Amino acid sequence: METSGVTATTAMTALEVEVATLIVGALQLEVQPQEIDPEAPLFGEGLGLDSIDALEMALAISRNYGFQLRSDDERNGRIFASLRALTAHIEKNRVG
Amino acid sequence: MADIPFLDRAPGDVLARRGTVPVTAGRYLADVAALAAQLPEAPYALNLCADRYLALVGFGAALARGQVTLLSADRSAHRQRELAGRYAGTYAIADGVETVIPAIAAGAWGEGPMTNAGANFGIPAERVAAIGFTSGSTGEPAAHAKPWAALVAAARAAAARFGLDDPAAQATVIGTVPAQHMYGFETTMVLPLRAPMAIHSGPHFYPVEVVEALAAAPGRRVLVTTPLQMRALVAGGISGVDTVISATAPLAVSLAAEAEAAWGAPVLEIYGATEMGSIASRRTVEGEGWTLYDGVALRAEGADAAAALVPGLPEPVPLADLVEIGPDGRFRLIGRRGDMVKRGGKRASLAGLNRVLAEIEGVEDGVFFAPEDLEANPAARLAAYVVAPGRTSGEIVAALRERVEAVFLPRPVVLVERLPRNELGKITRRSLEALRDGVPGEGAG
Repeated sequence: METSGVTATTAMTALEVEVATLIVGALQLEVQPQEIDPEAPLFGEGLGLDSIDALEMALAISRNYGFQLRSDDERNGRIFASLRALTAHIEKNRVG
Repeated sequence: MADIPFLDRAPGDVLARRGTVPVTAGRYLADVAALAAQLPEAPYALNLCADRYLALVGFGAALARGQVTLLSADRSAHRQRELAGRYAGTYAIADGVETVIPAIAAGAWGEGPMTNAGANFGIPAERVAAIGFTSGSTGEPAAHAKPWAALVAAARAAAARFGLDDPAAQATVIGTVPAQHMYGFETTMVLPLRAPMAIHSGPHFYPVEVVEALAAAPGRRVLVTTPLQMRALVAGGISGVDTVISATAPLAVSLAAEAEAAWGAPVLEIYGATEMGSIASRRTVEGEGWTLYDGVALRAEGADAAAALVPGLPEPVPLADLVEIGPDGRFRLIGRRGDMVKRGGKRASLAGLNRVLAEIEGVEDGVFFAPEDLEANPAARLAAYVVAPGRTSGEIVAALRERVEAVFLPRPVVLVERLPRNELGKITRRSLEALRDGVPGEGAG
């Protein structure tokens, strides 16, 4: 394996697994949802996502959770800091 | 040479919109004057502002002080150090980003009561106002200096071409392209200084932000975007666009038609490059012919190559694309210079092959890849990476076979979920190599 070797040291919640599955599916990542470290950064070094991925994720999140991502969230709330942070943001903002 | 005024707007004209709040040209001049008085004595200002109005104040203030603006859409620490190392005496003007070189933080410009007045000023026509950098589909990034006269001439030509020169029908431009990318710079930083229109300050990255900017804009709304973002915006179901302008990557006729149908607005495409700026446009659904901007001429150089004679630029600029120039002066792109591939004694252009691939039913995106040893190794073939949900690689090859010489048929055709396009929609050779090296091939994954 050439991945970072980081393994999830903390168990994921059910919603975290769901969001991880959504990300892996939407972005066609070469990892299993369970392999994502919930505390690791999604962009840059962690999962290595980029700004186009952010656009894809915004579409997937609006379809699945009924709310829209915004640049302000990204800057101030650091929602892409980790799977955990993104899941918390979704939990707080989801509609229905 | 004569000076050209910095601003060509009436003081009461709306030059920018911050959310729903209009900012007049007079207010802009006051903000420019206030910032200019604070700037250090330095030759270069690296403009890192993401907010388009703050970026515009930074650009104006640098001009007022006779400083050259460096345009970099990449705001990373690495990039800041690289440019500061290359241009001694560089400082940054920045908002919301950590700076690792001397920097002026953007203030609450455009907000609150006006505390000073600003005056218009002249700029020598030939003075370099900004330096843009090529993002590099091929080769190393290179610097391209923009004399003030060239920026002004291009803005005037664009205003005339896109009907943005009518003071009675002031438009608002909503740009999803960074202000520091040459296309975004021309359309959202220089155009508002010359044409009776306002820019929306942003941000416009996510679809909902574009929706809100469109709703906040009175009058004609012009969306300045890229094929990649247009796809997301069509999927996101936006409305209320009056004109769409696209550039940075070839726009598929199918996407242009889809956007025109969804929004009831013409989708126009700009042809240009960082080294020469925008030089031509077309309405994508109307065909392949590009119409040059007023004042621009093409000079044929050999069979298919050409150079652009651009007002304000000291030298003709070779086009990266091969062109066929028609008797009416319109031109057609027939491939990218240097992207010609040879196999079995036949020549083809990768861009031409990519266009054929893009037109196959069910193909959303696709690109041909030529291995380094294509000419030397008879066993080497072109490969293709294709996004075509519901279609098989066999069907793609069958469709290609009707229009492509057998020696250029790709093997393998690798179906992928998406291509490694960067944020401007371009695919670099390096990312394709990574795709090739990471994808085991047909049937193995």
